Amino acid sequence: MSLYNFKKIAVVPTAKDFIDIILSKTQRKTPTVVHKHYKITRIRAFYMRKVKFTQQNFHDRLSRIIQEFPKLDDVHPFYADLMNVLYDKDHYKLGLGQLNTARHLIDNVAKDYVRLLKFGDSLYRCKQLKRAALGRMATIMKRQAANLTYLEQVRQHLARLPSIDPYTRTIIICGFPNVGKSSFINKITRADVEVQPYAFTTKSLYVGHTDYKYLRWQVIDTPGILDHPLEQRNVIEMQAVTALAHLRAAVLYIMDPSEQCGHSLEEQISLFESIKPLFSNKPLIVVLNKTDVIEPEDLPPNKRALIEELEANCAKGNLVNADSNSELRAVPVMRMSTVTERGVQELKIEACERLLGHRVAEKMRTKKVDGILNRLHVAIPSPRDNKERPPVLPPKVLERMQKAQRAQKLAEEVQPEVRETRKRKLEREIELEQGDDYVLDLKKNYADIDENERYDPIPEFWEGHNIADYIDPEIFDKLAELEKEEELRIEGGLYAVPKIELDETMKEIRELARQIRNKKAILKDESRLVKQSTKPVMPRTSRAREKGRSTSKLRDEMEKLGVDMSDSKQAHFTRSRSRSRSRSAPAAKRARVDTALAVKGRDTQGVRDVAMQKKAKQMAHIAISKKTKKMGLKGEADRFIGTKKPKHLFAGKRGVGKTDRR
Amino acid sequence: MAVRVQFENNNEVGVFSKLTNSYCLVAIGGSENFYSVFEAELADTIPVVHVSIAGCRIIGRMTVANKNGLLVPSSTTDTELQHIRNSLPDTVKVQRVEERLSALGNVIACNDYVALVHPDLDKDTEEILADTLDVEVFRQTVAGNVLVGSYTALSNRGGLVHPKTTIQDQDELSSLLQVPLVAGTVNRGSDVVAAGLVVNDWSAFCGMDTTSTEISVIESVFKLNDAKPTAITSSMRASLIDSMS
Repeated sequence: MSLYNFKKIAVVPTAKDFIDIILSKTQRKTPTVVHKHYKITRIRAFYMRKVKFTQQNFHDRLSRIIQEFPKLDDVHPFYADLMNVLYDKDHYKLGLGQLNTARHLIDNVAKDYVRLLKFGDSLYRCKQLKRAALGRMATIMKRQAANLTYLEQVRQHLARLPSIDPYTRTIIICGFPNVGKSSFINKITRADVEVQPYAFTTKSLYVGHTDYKYLRWQVIDTPGILDHPLEQRNVIEMQAVTALAHLRAAVLYIMDPSEQCGHSLEEQISLFESIKPLFSNKPLIVVLNKTDVIEPEDLPPNKRALIEELEANCAKGNLVNADSNSELRAVPVMRMSTVTERGVQELKIEACERLLGHRVAEKMRTKKVDGILNRLHVAIPSPRDNKERPPVLPPKVLERMQKAQRAQKLAEEVQPEVRETRKRKLEREIELEQGDDYVLDLKKNYADIDENERYDPIPEFWEGHNIADYIDPEIFDKLAELEKEEELRIEGGLYAVPKIELDETMKEIRELARQIRNKKAILKDESRLVKQSTKPVMPRTSRAREKGRSTSKLRDEMEKLGVDMSDSKQAHFTRSRSRSRSRSAPAAKRARVDTALAVKGRDTQGVRDVAMQKKAKQMAHIAISKKTKKMGLKGEADRFIGTKKPKHLFAGKRGVGKTDRR
Repeated sequence: MAVRVQFENNNEVGVFSKLTNSYCLVAIGGSENFYSVFEAELADTIPVVHVSIAGCRIIGRMTVANKNGLLVPSSTTDTELQHIRNSLPDTVKVQRVEERLSALGNVIACNDYVALVHPDLDKDTEEILADTLDVEVFRQTVAGNVLVGSYTALSNRGGLVHPKTTIQDQDELSSLLQVPLVAGTVNRGSDVVAAGLVVNDWSAFCGMDTTSTEISVIESVFKLNDAKPTAITSSMRASLIDSMS
């Protein structure tokens, strides 16, 4: 089906649209600003680009059309013939051929004008050449107007063709107009073909699909065929003939013995005779339709004789494939009524069976089947021991199977248990019900765990350890025992605090200690208040000794607190010298000797006396002025370099010693 | 009846589920659609359990199971193992095996009586397999493939093997397994049959792509409907030939 999909051909625009599309694309996609003072090469390139771009777009677009339309020589002969019937092969090929020529012409125009543009000597000339080039391309396209409209119509029609797969299992229904072909396809497929009580209701091929034996069958409804020579057939009939001629399918030739279709039985039989060659090598079934109107047995004797003769011929097999001795020789004659649906299914089954048999026989003749023979084989085991290996079916399943079997047997039961109503609420239904709040509950179905133990927050495993291993089952007993012991201890007065009597000295010590603590706290607060800096401070341990601490101060403070400091000779209070080096005196500086006077100016250095000094100065002045005059300098400090990087020194190959010439 | 089902738009249902005659394991997915297909079909007869193996959803390929037991690879975490033990009936022995070929489902194919295993499978694993699942073990290949578990779908009533298995191989495998075998495909021509199909003695689940011809072969070889496996060579032969070539 995907083999022939004509729905994807791109739209073919009309000539006017075509030109508009391409020219506007050129305008959009190429530069638009050029000035006459530009270099002429640039102006030429600007216009050449426009011409080439336009040509390329025409070329691409036309190539695409030519490529996308099916080539009549490449497609399946059925489609080639169908397209010949519908669109006229010559016209179609000519149309595409002319597009191809137009493409070449456009290419040549572009080539010529690009060549001419190379000689354009001004902006104006170049522009005129470009205009001429695009104009000629547009003219060429304008001449294709008729072609393009034709191809667009063909495209639209192609896209609406039914997708018929020429290689699959196909059943073709044919016969005179109005004999009930479309009614039949509507009965066995869902094609929904229009059915009307007049001739040529069906004007083209219709496709429906039906299922039989696990396979998909393509059913093609064809327009009615009249009995006249092939040359006189119209387009509508020719579609049917094309389908019959090229599709390897089962053919149902539908007849209407009641003659309600407006054609006599004789005509129908003669049509059968005349289109007989189309049935060769195809499974064929002759169908007598409209048995609800009249049964063939009830026909007048002359008609009945015709039918009997036809049946006899069919059974003998000298109608179609008479020369071959294939299974296709005998043609069954079946009866049906699309109104009462009698015989419809039987006909479908017969047609499918005959076609399938034919296809399989054909395939067996080729080597195609060899590759899949192993898949058509069922390996039945030969017993290797006496062990029984029965299937394992739970009792519920067995019961259900037996019930189903019983229900099948009792066919009169109108509804053999529609399927026992489900009591269970599916997980999916719960999920839909709860929406975003749904959380999959894995523990719900733990059958052998008590319901209130299932959701224990303590996990059974934690980081590879079994929690149970670490649980002491007697932990509560042990705890109770310990508590009891503790109680006993408390009762025994183990923890009762004995009352302690204080004597005088102890009281005094306590009082003193309290005073010291208070004083300490006060000092701490004071020092915090005094300290003005809010900067972070170094901890005390690494600091130099505080200035405010001295032996006398200590003595004062301690005495104020009531400590007797008189007897403190042995307390080493007097050793007040810090071990820190911060207090040690700096090394004494040497006296400065004035050395500045010893240094003389450079102009006086090495000069004997003032006279000599004067003379030297004059000589220097003369030398400088000589130099400046000679070289045109402004003064001694003028070191002007005209060209910082003289080209001859920096360009080209360097010879030996050229860099340091300066 | 064979049921067509998809796991999150994936047709390889055998990868995400494991079906035996006494329980069914289903992967934990993004939604419960897949699980509920199994649940609706099986939950009234056997437990249908959400399972993950080593945090992965590919449980069908990692585990090997039958009605007697379940083997899981060593990568299975303790919590997962505990969950499986809690969910399955006590008659099912669950065993973790140290095996280099850790995708046990790919290297072992088994029903309730016989198992085919990868030729390079560890000796210890083979013993554990025989003890836990209570099966006879045969080292075999299927159509030249060592991954017997991937290319064989088995039940006690029949089996489907790789489509390229020769007739002789089928006969040999069939007499080892003591069930009728057919070479076939699932999922519109896929040859990894165990990935596209899970089956037990009364039900089967296959990928959504499976064609009706493939389903008919599956149903008749596993005796899921009234048809006998021999129907493949008789009544279904014509349609098989026509659809396959």
